[in-house]
Amino acid sequence: MHEVSIALSLIDIITAQCRKEGYGRIEAVRVRIGRASGIMPDALAFAFDAIKGDSMASGAVMEIEEVSLTGRCRDCGVEFTSDEEYVLACPACGGASFVMTGGRELDIIDMEVS
Amino acid sequence: MKVKVATKILEANDRIALDNRRLFDQAGVFVINLMSGPGAGKTSLLERTLAQATGLKIGVIEGDIAGTDDAERVERLGAPVVQINTGGACHLDANMIFEVLDDMPLNSLDILFIENVGNLVCPAEFRVGEDMKVMLLSIAEGHDKPLKYPLMFQESSALVLNKIDLAPYTDVDMEKIRRDALSLNPGLKIFEVSCRTGEGIEGWTGWLKEVSGKGFPQP
Ligand SMILES: Nc1nc2c(ncn2[C@@H]2O[C@H](COP(=O)(O)OP(=O)(O)O)[C@@H](O)[C@H]2O)c(=O)[nH]1
Ligand SMILES: [Mg+2]
Ligand SMILES: [Zn+2]
Ligand SMILES: [Zn+2]
Repeated sequence: MHEVSIALSLIDIITAQCRKEGYGRIEAVRVRIGRASGIMPDALAFAFDAIKGDSMASGAVMEIEEVSLTGRCRDCGVEFTSDEEYVLACPACGGASFVMTGGRELDIIDMEVS
Repeated sequence: MKVKVATKILEANDRIALDNRRLFDQAGVFVINLMSGPGAGKTSLLERTLAQATGLKIGVIEGDIAGTDDAERVERLGAPVVQINTGGACHLDANMIFEVLDDMPLNSLDILFIENVGNLVCPAEFRVGEDMKVMLLSIAEGHDKPLKYPLMFQESSALVLNKIDLAPYTDVDMEKIRRDALSLNPGLKIFEVSCRTGEGIEGWTGWLKEVSGKGFPQP
């Protein structure tokens, strides 16, 4: 829903670090996006391309790694992985009491600079 | 040249949220991030809460995409209020709050409410430095909402079910809302209120005094 504000924060972070490391151009950036983060990879890539404009990232290509949703059930103890964007019940016992252990990521992994 | 970044994209927001939190703690004010879909009754709940003689000193930050209607409604009740217009953004973030804190007399407040932009999705994703998140759902929105918008139900400490005066005119299954909301968040505190009739408001304000630790006369 707010892919543009996420893309803006991302550009702020990578251009600041690029400058700090003493480089002038970002060629590529790798990000990790959880399936349950509320951020759609395609929309994020679109927003990034639309606003990278005249920043140091103007020529940058974004590579997105998607992370599946994982969880651990408080009722039956099972650890599960899902391809859904949201899980409402434990796939093993149907209970609704579980903790999400992955899938909310919105992380920058690394970038290629020159 | 490959450079490791290893940073959460929301880290900048979280850092500012922590700064806000430090200011709130220094001032001794308890901060509630109030969230709901558009029109569930956030401003109405604030009006009711202000009108109740709670003895609490309450300030309000209003977040809307545009307009100052909500701030005017709250100001009429004599509370310090600041309006933020997000100009299109679908949620408040920590920096928007930070920028208006100078205009809020934090030191003289017991509770600061931050009325977020009407949206059942985004506001739950952005910390603003609050002590707790509280969400509203008006029963006319339907009993399928907890399972359709689970994150907000999971992140909130309390759920205010508003507009119970409309129950006779809808087919809403209140028990299903409770059941699904509690299955997503077993610790969720649930209040049934009507901001139209005032029903249930005393239970809500009583709880506010309790959780904020501001309800008891200072020795
Ligand atoms: N029938 C009924 N209407 C309500 C109640 N609470 C709020 N409303 C109405 O719902 C509309 C939206 O309320 P408002 O407080 O502006 O919602 P907000 O967008 O969440 O701040 C207004 O027309 C209110 O008068 C309630 O308990 N019962
Ligand atoms: Mg409002
Ligand atoms: Zn289970
Ligand atoms: Zn948003």
